[in-house]
Amino acid sequence: MALDEPLELSKGAIGGKPPTPPQVEQRNSRVALLFLAPTIALLGIFLVYPTIYTFALSFNRGRRGEFTQWVGFDNYVNLFTKDPNFIDLSKFPPSGALFNNILWLIFYTSIVIFLGLVLAVMASRVRYESIIKGIVFLPMAIAATALAVIWTFVYHPDPTLGLLNAILGIVNIGPISWLGDPGFVNASLIAVGVWGSVGFATVILSAAIKSISSEILEAARVDGANEFQVFRGIILPMVSLPISVLAVTLAVNVIKLFDLVYIMTNGGPGTSSRVIAFTMYQESFPGGLFGKGSAVAIVMLLIMTPIMLYNVRRFRTSSVV
Amino acid sequence: MAKFPRFLTLPVAVVMLISACGGGATPAVPAASGPAASTGTGASQPAGSAAAGGEITVTSLWGGAEQENFQKVLDAFKAKTGITAKYESNRDNYATVLQTKITAGNPPDVAILPGIGFLRRFAKDGSIKKVSDLGIDVAALQPNYAPGILEIGSVDGQLYAIMVKFNSKSTFWYRPAKLSAAGVTPPADWDAFTAALGTLASKGDKPLGLGAKDDWTLTDWFESIYVRQAGPEAYDKLFSKNGDWTDPSVAAAVKSMTDVLNDTNVDGGIKAALGRGFVDGIAQAFSANPKADMYYEGGFVGGIITGQVNKAAKLGTDADWFDFPSINGNKGVTIGGDVLAAFTTKPGVKEFMEYMTTAEAGTVWAGTGAIISPVKSVDVSVYPNDQTKREAAQVANATAVRFDGSDLLPGGGPNLGAELQKAIQGQTVDWASFQAQIKTAWDNE
Amino acid sequence: MSGTSDALAGAAVGERPQTLSGRIVRALNRTPIHIALGLVALVWLSPTIGLLVTSFRPRSDIQATGWWEVLTTLRFTTDNYAGVINSQGMLGAFINNIIISVPSTLLPLLICSLAAFAFSWINFPFRDTMFLIVVGLMMVPAQVAFIPVLQLMKPFGFTNNFIGIWLAHTAFALPFGIFLLRNFFITLPRDLIEAARIDGASTLGVFRTIVVPLSVPAIAAYGIFQFLWVWNDLLMALVFVQNAANNPMTRQISTLLSQYGTEWNLLAAAAFLQMLVPVLVFFSLQRYFVQGLLAGSVK
Repeated sequence: MALDEPLELSKGAIGGKPPTPPQVEQRNSRVALLFLAPTIALLGIFLVYPTIYTFALSFNRGRRGEFTQWVGFDNYVNLFTKDPNFIDLSKFPPSGALFNNILWLIFYTSIVIFLGLVLAVMASRVRYESIIKGIVFLPMAIAATALAVIWTFVYHPDPTLGLLNAILGIVNIGPISWLGDPGFVNASLIAVGVWGSVGFATVILSAAIKSISSEILEAARVDGANEFQVFRGIILPMVSLPISVLAVTLAVNVIKLFDLVYIMTNGGPGTSSRVIAFTMYQESFPGGLFGKGSAVAIVMLLIMTPIMLYNVRRFRTSSVV
Repeated sequence: MAKFPRFLTLPVAVVMLISACGGGATPAVPAASGPAASTGTGASQPAGSAAAGGEITVTSLWGGAEQENFQKVLDAFKAKTGITAKYESNRDNYATVLQTKITAGNPPDVAILPGIGFLRRFAKDGSIKKVSDLGIDVAALQPNYAPGILEIGSVDGQLYAIMVKFNSKSTFWYRPAKLSAAGVTPPADWDAFTAALGTLASKGDKPLGLGAKDDWTLTDWFESIYVRQAGPEAYDKLFSKNGDWTDPSVAAAVKSMTDVLNDTNVDGGIKAALGRGFVDGIAQAFSANPKADMYYEGGFVGGIITGQVNKAAKLGTDADWFDFPSINGNKGVTIGGDVLAAFTTKPGVKEFMEYMTTAEAGTVWAGTGAIISPVKSVDVSVYPNDQTKREAAQVANATAVRFDGSDLLPGGGPNLGAELQKAIQGQTVDWASFQAQIKTAWDNE
Repeated sequence: MSGTSDALAGAAVGERPQTLSGRIVRALNRTPIHIALGLVALVWLSPTIGLLVTSFRPRSDIQATGWWEVLTTLRFTTDNYAGVINSQGMLGAFINNIIISVPSTLLPLLICSLAAFAFSWINFPFRDTMFLIVVGLMMVPAQVAFIPVLQLMKPFGFTNNFIGIWLAHTAFALPFGIFLLRNFFITLPRDLIEAARIDGASTLGVFRTIVVPLSVPAIAAYGIFQFLWVWNDLLMALVFVQNAANNPMTRQISTLLSQYGTEWNLLAAAAFLQMLVPVLVFFSLQRYFVQGLLAGSVK
């Protein structure tokens, strides 16, 4: 089939060695402009202009989301000094939306990648590989609103209704209020996020692992390397580039995370599960404080910038750009 | 400051409501599209006369059964005026939908606003039309309401919205059979209440259901306690711009609240309650398989019991309510309600707003049993069951009626419900920080 | 595990040991993996199965017991589905979902492909800088665009028809889509493209006859991803669909619920109906998805 050909191409291209950068084929700015015109127009209107607008609005009262009254740095000062729900460093461990997002960044990203890698390796050794991958990928097809319903029946604090507490009840633990206890709520939400994203990581990493030639693996084993050494010495280095691209994609998405928190806990109990994007939304729309919401958005962009810069550097070193 | 008087006038409203419920005063209904009314004082163009066959959009966050009940009112409006009021439900993200529709130039013609904080925001934003801008004679509306009711929809002394429905929030729901089996009579005051909790708890079951994941159930608890314990005047001050949340009365009310809302009394414990929604909390006491004996929330709980939680349940025998226990002899009643506001002056809007002030509309709506009508001349007999009749009478007979305080707080402020969620877990609430935030929010309004 | 002579690669699965003992050893070696994967499948499937079971249970049962109780009391109803499907406007909302999703998937595919091609095979000044800016725009959260974009759309009334939501979905899809496709396009064989150019093909010709046909898996993979996201979206629809007649299912479902209600029966059935199309699309095109995503994201 014609389809198989590009598949082979793509596999071949993954084998660790950086691909040759495309050479100068044709220097043609006018043609390029034609190809890029719709992109430039849409990105300009929908992303670049609103970002500039938001930056300006973060120095304004922002009634109705419009420029109504300039307030200097008030929104930022307010955010960092008067809003313990955004960041509270006065006690240990710190709390607030910013801190929660850091928890998400660390745990969600690393667990998704770890599980994705483990599953990809394990699945490649069985005949029902595609079924397993299909199963872990299934959550990607589920709307966030449906996720809330699904997990309600898992996390319900009443052991007669919540699956998890019913299971714990068998061994006489709990019941635990997964979404109602501030000590558990972030972990519970992160677990849902992980459940939703592992499929994506598995699929990508599985494909990367398959591109490693079996001769290399064989040779290592013949030389007496055990499975763990093979994994550490060969597989891990070979998939480090896909892992880092995946990590950046996940990190950017987790900082923008909104729906899961909004739908499952609305930031509660109290404000224990708020994250940055939730705060931005909460301040702007229900709160009507568009200036403060914009300040949150700008803080969010500032946090993401180093991650993006790392991404860019990574491209450079792998000479893809 | 201009908002303050409405709290003072509210108790008077109650006195008037009594007479309203008792007598059958004829309502002073401004005739729809009356020529006198359309000589409006408004700055923008007054609404034209009746747009028979016209269409306006009405939006609120009601769906399901509530929507069906409200649709009956809209149908009656259509039958009377020929104007179609098309209903749009926006259950989620209500503020977002409203704001984005306004920004894009598609505001709903009329919207039901949940909460006065909302109303103030959109009024101060200039997004809502004054009632007088529609060509409605505000003074002519006054006789339809007890004094103080219309003021609830006022911002800075101008009438922007009209209260169209409310519910008592001082109804404490219980299982009559369970209480009498335990030898407990519905407690009248706080001491009797805590004693009753002790008796019920000693019989094995945890007495209270609680769905604290919906944090407004906690603000209702707090408000009901505060208005009784600190008194109506302190309540008025607290929920106004001059409120001081560091006042000891706040911590005292929270203390009383956590004295009863704790692991000893709440079925399943506090942490479980924080993961449980409002309706699931009702189900703890009133499902076919109940564990708890009592559940505190507003008058609308009755409809949820029979409509959602246990369709076999009968009000009066399986579920009934007593007055939220008095504290220090104070019996003030808190109410929650929704106001109707116009976002355009399109033909038909004026007619609709006027219609909603009539006993006719109030009667249709009250007849569904879902709401209590603020319109004076809606006869108490239209309420379909004893529980709603008593609810209307409770509000009418109260010595003090106060509007749901958390609905009065500015939208951009800190979340009182979230702080109370912390409090019932035994965490100390930083009221000084709360005060600083809410001050900023009031100043920013 | 270390005793097996299998390479890690999946291809090795096909070789079966000839002797009985060989097969037993092999089966034993795999046992921990089978157990682990079985556990994974259980954890990943049980919440969704719970939802499916719940959607067929009577409302009173849902409120009284957990869904696993069906093992002891078999009692099912299709009332929940009937309640959702027969509710006013649900069919229209389903059609709206299609009207919203199809252009919101095809438009980004086209625009991303064109841009990705320019970024990979046409040389022009500031190409890499522009590409980096595009990738950087992945950071911009959709919420910041609501107010300014709605202000711009106001004179055109784009929110009263489908144009607003199409454009919004398309624009926010671009950074990731271009990133993904460009990384696939640069892996295409240069020889082919050069040969076509020598044969006199125009730039557009090269794009149409060489790059697009060779990139079907990647484009299809990205298309599925975009489709899933658009189909399941609620927030963008809340903001950019302002004519109630155009509401997609996510919004229509919420109108079934009362202000205070937790109508799990309706929610469960609705959630499953909502999932139906994405799951069908995903499983029928899974092959593309898996292979195509890989290529883009790995590089």
